[in-house]
This record gives sequence, structure tokens and C-alpha cells, in this order.
Amino acid sequence: MILQIIWTSITSSSYYILFAVSFALVLKVTKIWNFAQPGFMTTAFYMMYWATNNLSLPIPLSLSIALIITILASWAVDKYAFGALRRMKSGGFTFFIFTLIFSEFVAYLFTLLFGTEPFTVFPNIFSPVIPVGGIVVSYWDLRAVTITGILLAGLYAFLRWSKPGRFLIAVSNNDRLAELYGISSRQAYTLSMVLAGILCTFGMYILGTKIAVHTHLSLSLILFAVAATVMGGIGNVFSAAMAAVFLSLLQGFSVLIIPSRWQNLLLYFFFFMVIITMPSGFLSFVRTMKGRRE
Amino acid sequence: MADTVRLEKVNKRFGGVVVADNIDMMLNAGDIIGLIGPNGAGKTSLFNLISGIVTPNSGTIYFQDKPINELSVYQRARLGISRTWQNIRLFQSMSVIDNLLIGSREYKGESIWQTLFKPNDLKRYSGALKEKALHLLERVGLADQWDTQVSEFPYGQQKLVGLARALMNDGTCLLLDEPMAGVEADVYDTMKAVVREEAKAGRAICVIEHAISFVKDLCDSAVFMFNGQIIAKGSVDDLLKNKELTEIYFG
Amino acid sequence: MEFIYSTLIMIGLYIILASSFDLILGHGGLISIAHPIFVALGAYASALLSMHFGIPIVLSILLGAVFAAIASIGLALASLRVSGDYLLIASIGFQLGILQVIKNVDFTGGPSGLSDIPSLIEGTARSLSYLIVVVAVALAVVLLIRWIVKGDYGRAITGMRDDEIALTALGRNSMSIKITIFALGCGLAGLAGGLYAHYFLYLTPEQFEIIESAAILTMVVVGGMKSTWGPVIGALLIVALPQSIKFLDLPPSINAPLQGLLYTALVMFFLFARPQGLVGAKAAHSGRTKHTKGNESAGPRRDKNG
Repeated sequence: MILQIIWTSITSSSYYILFAVSFALVLKVTKIWNFAQPGFMTTAFYMMYWATNNLSLPIPLSLSIALIITILASWAVDKYAFGALRRMKSGGFTFFIFTLIFSEFVAYLFTLLFGTEPFTVFPNIFSPVIPVGGIVVSYWDLRAVTITGILLAGLYAFLRWSKPGRFLIAVSNNDRLAELYGISSRQAYTLSMVLAGILCTFGMYILGTKIAVHTHLSLSLILFAVAATVMGGIGNVFSAAMAAVFLSLLQGFSVLIIPSRWQNLLLYFFFFMVIITMPSGFLSFVRTMKGRRE
Repeated sequence: MADTVRLEKVNKRFGGVVVADNIDMMLNAGDIIGLIGPNGAGKTSLFNLISGIVTPNSGTIYFQDKPINELSVYQRARLGISRTWQNIRLFQSMSVIDNLLIGSREYKGESIWQTLFKPNDLKRYSGALKEKALHLLERVGLADQWDTQVSEFPYGQQKLVGLARALMNDGTCLLLDEPMAGVEADVYDTMKAVVREEAKAGRAICVIEHAISFVKDLCDSAVFMFNGQIIAKGSVDDLLKNKELTEIYFG
Repeated sequence: MEFIYSTLIMIGLYIILASSFDLILGHGGLISIAHPIFVALGAYASALLSMHFGIPIVLSILLGAVFAAIASIGLALASLRVSGDYLLIASIGFQLGILQVIKNVDFTGGPSGLSDIPSLIEGTARSLSYLIVVVAVALAVVLLIRWIVKGDYGRAITGMRDDEIALTALGRNSMSIKITIFALGCGLAGLAGGLYAHYFLYLTPEQFEIIESAAILTMVVVGGMKSTWGPVIGALLIVALPQSIKFLDLPPSINAPLQGLLYTALVMFFLFARPQGLVGAKAAHSGRTKHTKGNESAGPRRDKNG
């Protein structure tokens, strides 16, 4: 029973991880709290849905179409919208308004085009299950975990060993210094947005093959990503991933102790307390307490 | 004579950096003490410790013989400790007179109760405050520009406004952080005159300065800091004759 | 006709909300978007007090406002610890957390909300009378905020926004200023909440989600922050424009998202085309600009904050 909860929480955390990592990555590199991400998530899902159901394309093709369109959207928003705001030297607050309004715009747009009924990518989301040890494992579970694992490993390798990846890290640490070394911070910003778009598309694929999605769902999901980012420590993409897993496990287990209706409250309360007591994230808070820093 | 400000064995570290190392120091009424030393010696940190922006790791800070470690920044200002800043820090969206008015030690307008329920009292009080501010502006030669936005002023004049603002406190301790850096000759003269007047009025003044001429000109004595420590204290002439200090300073 | 009265009443209520929000955000520089939750607290408190304790409605509306003001302390305390983006995010958590409580507690009616709330005004000219009341309150609020901001207290608020540490070093208690601004702003939001509850007679938690925060935010931004009439114009524009397409008589499945599209497109347009808002801000205590000899003014750059 416990193992089942652990397993289910971990597999559910798969899309949360992807959304959290996307959000954390953009925040790390561009310093923007990208509330436009729900807009990209929604776009990805509906493009996938439309290609699969209206164009009757096989899933690899639908996924590719969704990827291309989402990447284009992320690129365009960064270049034209964020670019303009940066030129106007707008404050973080203006970025917040724009990104939130953008996501709302996208939500309304797709409501107009697709209506308010929630649906999944495929009409039939039945996934065969196999018992492994004492746990029930579904094909969806395996797909979710595999895709997430590959993407995370790929991202890690990219950031660590590839030239553009290391440029991203350089810009996120000190963009002016990076410029002195000939690294274009604008390209880094765009790249981080594009990467986020890719991760989100896959995240929506995983999500949309299990849960029915509606146009405003992404806006509520993003809060989880924000919570994970804050708890993992702003600037640390992979600990945001860990925080996402942790939060998912917390949600899974809290069902045992508290009624499910209070789960969200717990999440928000935790989130509020974390951000006002440990704005640098949980890990650095622990380090501080251990006295390694002042 | 009771000292105005006294630091006893004050220590402060930021991570691995020691900005205050067992500091013992006194500021007496009527003194003008120069705080000199190379950059990063801990001079501004000392001001931050006295004004309460930073709390010491150990040691006690006394104001008129009472320990003030527990008091917050605004409480210390209300006791009579006022300061200027290296980067001036005027309120850029306000006019000159507004910058000064808000600097008064007691500011009744800060009370929302007064604002909402005692507007006439407040009006009378503000009138008196404005008189005081204009008088200070006269002393620094800016009275006719009382209504101008401070962001319009050149650097030197902003510094004069900053000085006048600090004087609105009318307190016993005045901390000036590099008041002369980058100012023109006439601003320099005005500031010097004003600081001398304030010392005569009985305030304890401490000035951080790099301009040796100013220190020699104005200060009765000086304190030399390096790496968070007070290395030497004494009359300005003695310190300047000290070869070791000159080496550290000009290195 | 009823529809027009309701819309005008909504505009009046949003004027109260936008102005009080501008006090916190525009003047105070305190970045919180949790304004709708204080509307909710005022609305629910007033509704419940009048429904279950028989308190006369005018009194319960005032008590609701006081309740909202007291609740704002939670947010004010957060603002003492963090600022800028972090405070923004914290305020989101604050709003959603309290919404969860409202959604899951029995006496608020839970997710289905509270209905049969007693009306403040009864009788034939109900809507018109209510409109007059709301307009009067809105005008009073706008003028009150203007008076506070332009006076001596406003000087302290501006100082706090410009450079909080410098302000405290002068002897001003910035902590109490923050708490006061939140209490005032959020209390007024609670007042609007009470007025809302006793006109529309129906409350659900859905009416107070982040989307509402965005709406109030955009009213202030589009209208012009830190100005007296900016929030008023913003409220008018943001409520009236999407509502105006109701006259096109489109089916609801098109009407609702179209309203949303119109509103979001409008905001994005303003963000890029006129970021200072329709009524550009003039700081309450700015002095006259003097004519220098043709050079730009020297002087240190402002510290960037929030």
C-alpha cells in the first residue's frame, strides 16, 4: 500500500518535474518568473490534441507539430515581448503582469477554439497494467518515468557539457560578465525559453494522456511549479526537480493523515512560509543553519 | 564629560570577512573625529553598526551611557543619531524641502491617527517644521531652490541637501560618510563651515574621509582603521607623520 | 436597464478596489496581488455576520472591512521579511491559501458559496439607490486616498518607496507604515466586498481567484499607477469595454472567451504602447523641475528595487 502510494506519487510527479524544471530554468537564466509558461503548456496540449484528433496524425507526428509550434511561440514571446520589456527597462512587476495576461489570453483563445469541455489527448486513455512486486505499474507510468528521465538526463548533459549549455549557466550566474566574454545573453535567454517549451510539451503529453485537460488547467498547475522552484532554491534547476518529487510525495501521503480537501491548503501554507523564511530555498537554508555561512 | 557614543569590544564578521575587530572607540560632544583608512577597512561598517543597520556579533554600543544594541535603526535615529551616506540616498522623487521635512527627528505626519483625526494640529506642526527646514537650507545656500526636485541637482548640491537633511535630526551624534568626495570648492567650503558650527553647538561628529586636506583642516583627531581594526588613534598631525600608516594607506 | 445598473455598480466597486490597490502597490511600492482575498474576507464576514448574528447590515459591512484590515497583518508581516518578486509570489500563496480555507469550511458554504444574503437596500428603486451609495463611497475613497497621499503621511510613504533604509535612518518607522498601508488598502477592499455581497446577494470562492487579482492589477496599470484618477479610469475601461460586446448578442460560448480576449489584448496593448498608463504618474511630492543649462541633470542613479 505504502509502496503503491510512493510509486504513484513518483510517476505523477513526472509532469510536475518537467513543468518545475522549465520554470526554474527560465527563472535562473532570465530572472523572469515566467507566468507565460501556462500559455505555452496550453498551446502544446491543444496543438497535440488537434493534430491527433482533427488531423488524425500518429502521436510522434502530433508531438512534433506541438513541439514546433510551442518552440516558435516561446521564441517569439522572448524575442518580441520580453525583448521589448527589457528595452523599456521594465520592472519584474511588469513582466509578471504581461506573462500572466499572456497566459490568460492563450486560455481564452483556446476556449474560443475548443470550448470549455476538458479532454485528454486520446479519447481512450486506458493503459494496460502489470503487477510488479506488490505494486501495480501501468504502461503510462513507464512512459512517464522514461520520458522524464531521458529529458532530465539530456538537460543535465546539455548544461554540463555542451557549449550552449555552459553559456546558459554563465549568463545565469552573471550576465554582464558573460557578455564581456563574448557570450550573448539574449541568445541565452531565448535558448532557455525554447528548452522550457520543449520540456513543457513533453510534460503536457504525459499529463494529457492521463488527465483531462481544459484551457485554464495550466494556470493552476503552474503554482506547483512555482512552489517546487521556490523550495528547491531559486537558481537550482535540479533541486527544483527534487522538490517537485517531494511535493508530489507529500501530496500522496498527506491523504493518509489529512482529508484530501485540505491538501491544497497545506501546499499553499508551506509555500508561503518557505518563501518568506527561506527565499534562497530549503537547501541553502539548511546550509546556513549548519553554520557554514554567516 | 560623558561620551555621546561609545563602542566597547565590538566585533562583526560577514562570513569570512571581519569588518570590526574588537573595536573600542568614543565620540564626544564637540569633537570632530576623522575616520580614515584604505577602502574596505570597515569604516562604513562602523557607521552601520552605530546607526543600527548591522548588529554586532559581540560587544556593546552605548549612546549617552545607555546600551543601544537592542534598538532598531529608526529608534536610534530618534535618540539623536543621524548620518549621511556615501551614495547620498536622497529621495529622488521628492523635492528638496520634502527630503528635509521627512528627516526631522520627530515627524508627526508619520502617524496616520494624526493625519486622519488631527489635521489642524498637524498643519500647525508642519508649518513650524518647514520654517526649520528653510533655515537649514539657508545655511547650505539652497533656500531659494527649496521646491526643486532633487533629481535635478548636480552631485555636489545633492550632497548639501543630504547634509541639511541629516541636520534636521538636531541630534547629538552626526556621522558623515565621505561628505567631500567629488564636490566642488564652494560646496566644500560650505560643508566645512556647517560642520564646524555643528561641533561648536555640541554635537559629536565623526567623518569618514579620504581627502587628507579636509581631515587636517577640520578634525581634532583621527582614527585609522585597517582590516576591521583600529590601528592608530591620535591627532591628525601625528597620524600623518607615522610612516607605517602612510604605507598602508598609499601602499 | 438592470444590466446597466449592475455594470455601473461593478465599476463603482472596482474603482474602490483599484484605488485602494494603487495605494498599496503604486504609492507604497508593496508588491502584493492578494487584493481580491480581502474583498472576499470583507464580503463573507459581512454576509455571515448579518445572516447569523442579526447584525444590521451597515454595521456588518463596516465590521467586514475591519476584519479584512486585521487579516492584512499576515501579508504586512510577510512584506517586512521579503520584497519585490518574492513578496509577489508570497502574496499569491497567501491568497490561494485563504481561498482554500473558504472553499473547505462549512460555514462559508464551501465551494458552492453563500446565497440568500440580505440586501442592504430594498424596494423598487433598489438598483438606483445602491448605485448612488456605491458612487458616493467610491468618490469618498478616491478623495480620502488622495488626501492621505498628498499630505505629510504621503511624504513618508514616498520616502519608504524611494529608499526604505535611508528613511529608517532618519527616524521613521517604516514597519508601521507598511502595516498601516496594508490595513488601509485591504480594509477598503473589504468595504467594497461588503457592498458587493449585499447587492449581488451571492458569493462563491471562484469570484476571488488570481484572475481577479490580474483584473485589478491591470486596472491600475492601464489607468496609471500613483495617480488619483488613473485607477478610476482604469476601472471604467477594463469593466466597460468587455461588457460592451454583450450588446452584440453573441452566444455565451463565444461571448465569454471573446470578452476575455478583448480584455487581455487591451492590457497587453497598454503594457507596450503606453506603459505609464493613461494618466501618467506625477509623484505626490515631486518638486518643480528647474531649467538647467541644457544638460541632463547629474546626480546618482536611483537604487533599483522591487
